[in-house]
Amino acid sequence: MTDPRTVVVTGGSRGLGAGIVQSFLDSGDRVASCSRSSTPQVKEWEAEHPDRFLFVEADIADREQSTAFVKAVVAKWDSIDVLVNNAGVARDGILALLSDEDSDTVVDLNLKATIHLTKQVVRTMLARRSGRIVNISSITGLTGYRGLTVYGATKAAIDGFTRGLAREVGSRGITVNSIASGYLRTEMSHGLDEGQLNQIVRRTPAGRLGEPDDIARAVQFLVDERNDWLTGHVLVVDGGLTC
Amino acid sequence: MTDLQGSILALIQSLLERSDKADITVALDTPIHGDGLGLDSLETAELSAMLEDEFGTDPFGEGLMPETVAEIVAFYSSAGESGASVPA
Ligand SMILES: NC(=O)c1ccc[n+]([C@@H]2O[C@H](COP(=O)([O-])OP(=O)(O)OC[C@H]3O[C@@H](n4cnc5c(N)ncnc54)[C@H](OP(=O)(O)O)[C@@H]3O)[C@@H](O)[C@H]2O)c1
Repeated sequence: MTDPRTVVVTGGSRGLGAGIVQSFLDSGDRVASCSRSSTPQVKEWEAEHPDRFLFVEADIADREQSTAFVKAVVAKWDSIDVLVNNAGVARDGILALLSDEDSDTVVDLNLKATIHLTKQVVRTMLARRSGRIVNISSITGLTGYRGLTVYGATKAAIDGFTRGLAREVGSRGITVNSIASGYLRTEMSHGLDEGQLNQIVRRTPAGRLGEPDDIARAVQFLVDERNDWLTGHVLVVDGGLTC
Repeated sequence: MTDLQGSILALIQSLLERSDKADITVALDTPIHGDGLGLDSLETAELSAMLEDEFGTDPFGEGLMPETVAEIVAFYSSAGESGASVPA
């Protein structure tokens, strides 16, 4: 058994983020997470693992709250070994009808908040010359999907961010990768109607939608200490939908 | 030498050691870049993060661009005078 790592997962209160938090609690690590509000699942982890689960209520699209969250983690556990940028939001609707407010919400969280939080965390990783960063992206950033133009743009941008940062900090023992996730059965995909979901399943070689665990296993692989030669990569995990 | 100067010099020394530049001697008037410590941008970022880790704030993060070791020390001593806490 290796030493427990300190893992930060943004947006871990439900959906994919909750699956990733659970996976790192199961692997014996210390996990810090945040979201705008707590959930029964968060309360359960707080009761079950008071010494190795930390939850902070924070809207990371607000820079002050995001900084305070990172500071709280470092104050408690000193350093951060793994960062999983998972918090994200989708607002669907064709561009010609999308409100500026909706498109700002998506850019502010998926792109600007991810960049700001990563900057804080990569500084602590640089001070120790080690770290693993995984950005949760989407196949819509690779292929495009009608009704998800702005969302897809933020995910394509995050993949670019992954590559640039991987080059910047590669010599310091820090790897940066993206996971382009396919469609999952979480609240986010409730924006898609039954017809769209059935069509996605029909076109997916693996014959089903994804589960948080499908992605969590890929995250665990990318952050494995031994995988220090795997960086700047966008790993597609989508049941084969885009192959 | 004050405690503050000593701990900043020690921190810079440890950065130089892991950057395979341990042969450089650090003094208060040593320039950080160029002929002095010759830090590149990534090493400067590391120094900035290490200072923040140690002291809670750092001159680079505050938008200042200190040119010498003494200017880094001055950042913390003037912060001390203005009442901010500076652990030695
Ligand atoms: N679901 C899919 O089909 C799918 C496909 C590809 C990629 N993804 C990506 O997977 C990630 C997770 O998606 P999901 O499906 O799990 O979404 P979700 O079920 O809507 O969960 C989103 C999580 O992020 C938190 N969050 C939202 N806004 C936040 C903010 N401003 N500050 C802090 N936390 C915030 C939410 O909690 P609060 O609301 O309480 O803040 C929640 O914990 C996203 O990056 C998404 O783009 C999802």
